[in-house]
Amino acid sequence: MKKLVIAVMGAAFLAAPLAFAQKKSLVVGMGSADAGKLDPHIASTTPDKGLLSWMFNGLVRLKPGSINPEFIEPDLAESWTSNPAGTEWTFKIRRGVQCHHGYGEYTADDAAFSIRRAANKATSSYSNDFSAVDKVETPDKYTLKITLKSPVAGFLGYVANVNGGNQVCKKAVDEMGENFAKKPIGTGPFMFAEYQPQQFVKLTANKQYFRGAPALEEITYRYVPADSARDLAFQSGELDMIYGKQDQVWMDRTMKLPGVKVVAMEPGELSVLSLNITVKPLDDIRVRQAIAYAIDRKAIVVFKGAGSSRVAVSVVPSGYLGTDEKAPLYPYDPAKAKALLTEAGFPNGITIKTIHTTLTGMQTLIEAVQAQLKKAGINLDIELVEHATFHAQIRKDLSPIVHYQAARFPVADVYLTQFFDSASIVGTPTAVTNFSHCNVADADIRAARSATDPAKQKELWKAAQEKIIKAVCAVPVYEQLQLWAWKDTLDLGYQLQGSLNLSPPITEKTRFTK
Amino acid sequence: MTAFVVRRLAFACVTLFAVLTLVFVLVRIVPGDPAQLILGDQASREAIDALRQRLGLNLPIWEQYLVFLAGALRGDWGVSLVSGQPVIGEVLKVLPWTIQLTIVSLILGIAIGVPLGVYAAIHRNRVIDYAVRVSSLLGLSFPPFVAAIILLLAFAIALPWFPVISARSGSLAAWYQSITLPAVSLGLITAAYVTRVTRSAMLEVLSEDYVRTARAKGVPWNAVVWRHALRNALIPIITVVGLYLGILIGNSVLTEIVFSRPGLGKLLIGALNQRDYPMLQGMMVIYTLIVVLVNLLTDLAYGVADPRVKLK
Repeated sequence: MKKLVIAVMGAAFLAAPLAFAQKKSLVVGMGSADAGKLDPHIASTTPDKGLLSWMFNGLVRLKPGSINPEFIEPDLAESWTSNPAGTEWTFKIRRGVQCHHGYGEYTADDAAFSIRRAANKATSSYSNDFSAVDKVETPDKYTLKITLKSPVAGFLGYVANVNGGNQVCKKAVDEMGENFAKKPIGTGPFMFAEYQPQQFVKLTANKQYFRGAPALEEITYRYVPADSARDLAFQSGELDMIYGKQDQVWMDRTMKLPGVKVVAMEPGELSVLSLNITVKPLDDIRVRQAIAYAIDRKAIVVFKGAGSSRVAVSVVPSGYLGTDEKAPLYPYDPAKAKALLTEAGFPNGITIKTIHTTLTGMQTLIEAVQAQLKKAGINLDIELVEHATFHAQIRKDLSPIVHYQAARFPVADVYLTQFFDSASIVGTPTAVTNFSHCNVADADIRAARSATDPAKQKELWKAAQEKIIKAVCAVPVYEQLQLWAWKDTLDLGYQLQGSLNLSPPITEKTRFTK
Repeated sequence: MTAFVVRRLAFACVTLFAVLTLVFVLVRIVPGDPAQLILGDQASREAIDALRQRLGLNLPIWEQYLVFLAGALRGDWGVSLVSGQPVIGEVLKVLPWTIQLTIVSLILGIAIGVPLGVYAAIHRNRVIDYAVRVSSLLGLSFPPFVAAIILLLAFAIALPWFPVISARSGSLAAWYQSITLPAVSLGLITAAYVTRVTRSAMLEVLSEDYVRTARAKGVPWNAVVWRHALRNALIPIITVVGLYLGILIGNSVLTEIVFSRPGLGKLLIGALNQRDYPMLQGMMVIYTLIVVLVNLLTDLAYGVADPRVKLK
């Protein structure tokens, strides 16, 4: 026995020390078990979108590190113009951009192909975003013309480097078909190199990148689903950058590690309780108001941690183009909540059901909400189900209260349309995520979508938010920021405030300082 | 013997068929829509319905079942709804990782458990016996993921001998580095089981008449223990090891996640989360096959361990 122990330890010493990552190579640890479909027009999860964002470009892009749609800059399109009505967009495509792995020059043909692909239900998760697209034409090799049936608020956002705006190379898609997701081909600073199931995806530098060869030579994107394992591997130096456990405790603990940078970045995912206004007892506005009065948003932020979360300001996340940052949300007033309940005929309190996911971060929130509602005599009956079941059941109208947490493209229209336009009501053919059956702001949302005067547009969005809040279709609770950590020897090469792809952009300028 | 194996395999086919049918129905009863999960939460109902149609999920369940059975008979287990790759290929890519981990931890478990069990039995009710019994009980009651984290903290962080991400390959050293901690973590629990069974089986055998006879006629004590007694105590040990192999493969789910190793467990969790029906079906076939094969091997091992056992 003793000999065995000595032999094992000896062998361990022989194998040590471990090889540490080369400083031209970045190792990222992501909190999922494996890659999904690595197709930018399909991918909808944080892990897949983040990875793909390092390989693809849009026609335009949000400045790296920023999520402000007012600072859009050229990407694959050098310049663009639109007619005054905002229905005809012409993009001048940058010359000489090369697709990865020798798939030839990226031209207007590829751009047109990408837009059509992203607009196609069969090949895209984001076809909805392009429903207003009427025609996509290529007058010449470097010109793309998009004609819209009606103007679209923040249209440039849909052709930016996120979701359906990502530009693919036609020849590669044609050649590979379904296999494109196994070897995605784009034009970005990093190219797909290798995939090992449940282990990693390796990217190599695209030396021909049109903004210049990247400083990093290689990125290894490792799938490390266990939060604890990711933390330990970050501590041991096996990972240079990790997706954080999305809570304050993790943030506080990780900040104490030496040589580490911890970031809570935009966008904040807005946590909202959608109240189904068509079912009893929520069809009574007094009951809905009681819920709104019973929630103490400030206490929730204290509970969730001030470094990683913030108070909700409206039914649209804060900072979006068109968010009413001073929206008339109901103040915390449990006494008033009780009075309203009594008025509505529930002097002894009320029980309302919610079907809820077991996703940890969301579950702790709903339990805190449950405790707050209790004080106002509202008994929230939480039925916990696993995440996929949750998504299926809330889309079948089975949960009178739906707690949802999401970030969208930062233009108020997207959030308002998906969550509060009656066309998006769950159960309808055009359903997205309107769980409340809200229909009070349709006119304003739709008018804002095609408004050409920015000031008028903002007014309409403001009016829409006021109506939704007044009708208590939804009660916003708090916003959860995106937590990441990396070694402080890694210089991203830009100021990071946020990233719409929910992962920090790794650009041609990202490098290790040591 | 051959007839026995053939008959058992024929039974296995019936088992497989039953398991498959059950899994096919069960995974579809559970709420959750693969098409919605693939497209994400910004997709419209129309897009989701279009994908359902393309994946064949809009067909009546019996029709889906017939399509599936027809494919299965041809050896086609379908393609993963998530990755679009053939199920069998996806399973085979990670299967070696799980098999290696299972075998190494089983060997470790036997190598530690059998000698400890024998030792405890021949020192019955002495301090060493109590020590073995308490520590094996501890091993049994310790959640595997806790043991895994402690191992990582000790041997990957405090003493940086092993990587936290135990998924290296390519060379023997890399393999050894990747398998040690996960195998120890699972092996110790296996050892706890094996120790307890070995001890009780040995105690029973040691009180048999033939052991006394052997000692009386002057056979050396060591030979009595290891040749006469252990040999006769092997049957219950083999039974437990065989049963435990199934549990071990199940336990490996947590081990794979904590040690970031590829494997069947992670594939299964992913397929469940995504409602990847073909993948779940394919994996159940593999799991069932493994259990059936292990049972068969266990039965064959009885015959080797004890020639009196006749396989009919």
